[in-house]
Order: sequence, then structure tokens, then C-alpha cells
Amino acid sequence: MKKEPNLSFGRGDWIAVVLVLVLAAAVLVLCLPRQGEENAVVQVWKEGELIYELPLHSDRELQIGGKYQNTVVIQNGRVYVRESTCPGGDCVHTKGISRSGQSIVCLPNRLELRITGTGEVDFAVG
Amino acid sequence: MKKSKSLALCALLIALALALSYTERFLPLQLLIPLPGIKLGLANIVTLVALYRLGSGKALPIVLLRCIMGAVFGGGISGLLFSLTGGLLALGTMTLSGRIRSFSVYGISILGSAAHNIGQILAAMLLMQSPYILAYLPYLLLVSLFTGFATATAASGILKLLPSTDRS
Repeated sequence: MKKEPNLSFGRGDWIAVVLVLVLAAAVLVLCLPRQGEENAVVQVWKEGELIYELPLHSDRELQIGGKYQNTVVIQNGRVYVRESTCPGGDCVHTKGISRSGQSIVCLPNRLELRITGTGEVDFAVG
Repeated sequence: MKKSKSLALCALLIALALALSYTERFLPLQLLIPLPGIKLGLANIVTLVALYRLGSGKALPIVLLRCIMGAVFGGGISGLLFSLTGGLLALGTMTLSGRIRSFSVYGISILGSAAHNIGQILAAMLLMQSPYILAYLPYLLLVSLFTGFATATAASGILKLLPSTDRS
């Protein structure tokens, strides 16, 4: 690839743009949140393990420990992270979630909040 | 290019990539767009320049060393997992798309940025053992169109100034 490249934006580059857009749309459709579940459940995963499973429609506040501290709030059918001691604080900046299939992630603390549709646990909880 | 000169250029590019990825931590892009793992990908400018001026054979060790030294200087092991999967996937994609004549630096850089994000999401899915993280990918891909364009602008400026033929 040592040949001299074309250094300005050309017509061919739109192919790259369209490729990325198509891929984005495909993944978006794949991950489309299913809505309208009454008995949605909030799952709290820490380091790959399910540590809490709570109804989405009853208000609750949780303190998650570990390497960092996260304050998780479930309020009016919405879940969000109010405070976090992790660097970056992406989990706090992420908008709250309210639909099945959505999640909030705190990578530094390896925490994930997930909303799932049914109240049934379809796998073993350790 | 003389062996000593190409070695010096490699070392220079590794140092530059490290400095750029470190500087990037102070640009709070996630305040503007709240997505986990979002960044400008300034180190990709170096990968692009290395690909064009030194070839993929030398760009590979440059990316590898940048990731490993970045982990030593504060990224940690999980940081290494993220930068390696992202960096290598981006390098592979850019090497392949560089063979396609219809792409300019811009097209190659945009595909590289997209590949970098895909790599990072894959690493996050692996680390968190959760398929749900995939839901962030469409938004990251949209952002990569802009970051890819920005890094291509920088890289094309550098490539214009840095002659391809050895003049010494």
C-alpha cells in the first residue's frame, strides 16, 4: 500500500459512508427495544453475575459497591445511575432506560443494568 | 528508505500515537455525546500515515506497541483488550480497503473508525458477557463517520507534507 493515495474526498468514498450507515441501520433494527411489557424486570449484573432482579415499576434505590460506587435509582418505570465514583462517569451521563432490551453499562465497575421483558428467570442464578 | 531512517520514523510514530491517545483522554467527547467508549481516535491518524509511508508490515508493530505501551502507561489490562481489538480490526480493515482504488484516505479512514468501534463493542461484550451492549453500536457507527472524516483530514494534511520518496 505504498502507492501514493488519493488525498481528497472523492465519489468512491460515499461507498464507505453508505456501508457504515447500512451496518448501523442493520444493528439498530436487530437491537430494537421491545416495548410495552407491564411486568418488566431490572437486572443488575456485576462482573458477569446476576446480583439483583427487581420489578421496574416499584421505586427503589441501590448502592453498588466494588472497585467503585454506583448509586442506581429505579423511579417511575425508569432506571438510571445517579452517582458514580468511577472515572469518566459514562454510566451517569447515559440517559435513563425504561424499555425492555435497553441497558446501562459502567465498564470501570463492570456493572450492567438491563431491562428484560418477563419476570421469569430463564437461567440459573448463582 | 534506509533502514536506520525507517526505524527512526517507526519510533517517532509510536511515540506520536502514544502521545495522541493520552491527550485524547482530556477531550471530554462523552460529555457532548454520552456513549461509553466514545473517542476521537486520534491515534488512527498515525496508523494511516504509517500504512501509506511504511506499509502494513510496519504499521502492525506500530499499532501493537502503541497498545501495549498505552496499557503500561495507565490503560491497564482491560484497556489493552479494548485498544488491541479496536486497533487491530481498524488496521486490518484499512489495509484491505487501501487495496480498493475507489477509496481515498477519507473512505479508508471512515471504514477504519467504524472497524475500531466494532472491535471495542466486541471487547465490551466479551468483558461484560452481555449481548445487550451491541445496542450501542449503531450510535457509535454514526459518530465514526465524523471522527473518521476528521482523522482523514489530519492524515491527508500530514501525507501532503511528508514526502513519500527518500530524498536523502
